[in-house]
Amino acid sequence: MGADESDLSLVRRVQRGDKGAFDALVLKYQHKLVKLVMRYVRNPAEAEDIAQEAFIKAYRALPQFRGDSAFYTWLYRIAINTAKNAVVSRDRSPIEYNVDRNSDESYDMQGRMKDSETPEGLVLTDEIRSIVNAAIDGLPEDLRTAIVLRELEGLSYEEIAAAMDCPVGTVRSRIFRAREAIDRRLREVFEGGLGRAEELG
Amino acid sequence: MNEELDSQLSAMFDDELAAAECELLARRLSRDEQLQARWGRYAVIGAAIRAERGVRLNARVASRVSVVVRSEPALSAGAVTRRGGARWPRPLAAAALAAGVAAVSILMLRSQAPQDAAIVAAPPVAVNAPRAAAPAARAGSAATTAAPSYVVPPAQRGNLGAVPGPELANYVVAHSMYSPPVMRGTLLSSFITSESGGAATPVSTEVMTDPQVDAPSHPQ
Repeated sequence: MGADESDLSLVRRVQRGDKGAFDALVLKYQHKLVKLVMRYVRNPAEAEDIAQEAFIKAYRALPQFRGDSAFYTWLYRIAINTAKNAVVSRDRSPIEYNVDRNSDESYDMQGRMKDSETPEGLVLTDEIRSIVNAAIDGLPEDLRTAIVLRELEGLSYEEIAAAMDCPVGTVRSRIFRAREAIDRRLREVFEGGLGRAEELG
Repeated sequence: MNEELDSQLSAMFDDELAAAECELLARRLSRDEQLQARWGRYAVIGAAIRAERGVRLNARVASRVSVVVRSEPALSAGAVTRRGGARWPRPLAAAALAAGVAAVSILMLRSQAPQDAAIVAAPPVAVNAPRAAAPAARAGSAATTAAPSYVVPPAQRGNLGAVPGPELANYVVAHSMYSPPVMRGTLLSSFITSESGGAATPVSTEVMTDPQVDAPSHPQ
């Protein structure tokens, strides 16, 4: 198996006109991209807007992507350039948020600004985080170690296998089972509607 | 949900799935909403474990991007840059194509002029109609199969002058992306002028060659 093969298989599908494959790439990288953009801007809503713009630029530029570098490396470069440009243009127009309340467009912008700062917006993220953490705490030791080494430390399956002294196939199975256990809890929240986590025991 | 499939999805998410399996799963992932939702939750789990500060786990970036991408034209395999392979330099190819179309247009104009009076109406020819359909646009058969044209309205007898025939008109409109701007502008202007009913000013050579023909009329 080659590195970045899963991304490449999705990229090839997008290049052949399959937009659904691009959705999968966005779902995979949206949080990482927002985190990256947060180095340049502090407002989470603005970071999401920039990440959105970067994804759209990437989609339009995908015909030129030849796979010389990993997809995420290429995507990150686009995001960094987009963020830098956004910061420059924001600095040129410092009254960006001095908006007219009567205008629909500015009202929408205010709505989005509020969305990131409202207690509700923060609670939802905290809620998801606490569900995931609680689910991880409830995992058997071997599953917890495997998923943490993968997600937190970014180790490959082979590295995890060496660290845990077990076959790569076992690592794959442990990570999958860990994800399934966490996902079961998370799915209840997502499918039941966000913000109802307190109803879950 | 199939456990083996989910196990593959988890491995693919980590870039730990064999290439051949990735191809198959990518195809399914792009179409299966449930699988895609699970894939999205795997991303949320990772972000939650890493406790990325400032990142909202309920962010709607993906849905917003999806809406925009859905409104964009799909990418095509032909547009993808490929390494290797002999290709014509783009400007040269464009110039050759434009010159070819211009030459064909001029030749057709010359050969068409004396026959114009015989042409009554052209059958509808859609923009995407195959080029082979154009020769069928001759008078006799066309009159009986008249249907609304998407490109060029039927030409009117007695108002033809130097207006090219519908056959050529359809050809030029269908290939207008490739025809030289001067030729395209002149011909299209002629069609527009000839479109304005029986009271229309007869289209003359002067109109066709007048550079102001596309300019808006100024009130006196």
